[in-house]
Amino acid sequence: MALEVLLVEDSKTQAAQIKETLESVGLRVRIAYDGPDGLREAIANPPALIVLDVKLPTMDGFQVCRRLKRNPATQDIPVIMLTEKAGPKATMSGLRAGADDYIPKDIFASEHLIDTLHELGILED
Amino acid sequence: MSDVHSPYKMRPPVMQVRVEDSMDIMIVRDTTRRAAGLLGFSPAHRAQLATAAATLAELVLKTGEAHTVHLNGVVDNIRHGLQISSETPWLAGRSANNVLIALKSKMGDLVDEILLEETPTPTIMMIMWLDDTRSDSQGGT
Repeated sequence: MALEVLLVEDSKTQAAQIKETLESVGLRVRIAYDGPDGLREAIANPPALIVLDVKLPTMDGFQVCRRLKRNPATQDIPVIMLTEKAGPKATMSGLRAGADDYIPKDIFASEHLIDTLHELGILED
Repeated sequence: MSDVHSPYKMRPPVMQVRVEDSMDIMIVRDTTRRAAGLLGFSPAHRAQLATAAATLAELVLKTGEAHTVHLNGVVDNIRHGLQISSETPWLAGRSANNVLIALKSKMGDLVDEILLEETPTPTIMMIMWLDDTRSDSQGGT
């Protein structure tokens, strides 16, 4: 059975694009459109991986990631932050929050995301 | 092509990206992730190195002149790492200390070392060393 990814992304357009990328490599995708919803979903039904946007309504991706990594029920789930905020400060904030990778949403984002899925063992080589 | 500078012995991978417009910043980021992956850095450390390289490329682009960002494996005794460097001729005559303070303030958390070689042409060099905590699951090189 295909592994499930929880995608936390408030933009429906971007969520659809990322979902398509993840499904193209055989993963199932569940979407949460804000941080609190993402946290609830992750705790209620822990996925194999969380792909997390930074700019989210109510609670930003850094806060969501910190809470995921503090909660024993979710702390071992790999988190990849996929974001438009690409500067040094944002990158370090994401990684210090516990993210396993921090990928800017540029033209190479899908490629980098899939590379990291292999590195994390979510996809087999 | 300009010579690549380093206080350390260089080794593959050896890559370079000419930075002429904003698209090239993405290419620098992508190339850096790949170079860091070849050396065995984990995804999180690839992200740090890619951000450092992209930030250097942005700095280069702001000067209005095309320059090259070089990516080289480096070795120092038993440790190895990745060096990101670019010649920065516009820094000639500036206080190296002030330049380094500014660079470390912006990018000091991303890499282990930031160096400025002043001659023959000022060159910024940033290095991250690979260790067990930074290695990917495949064990690197």
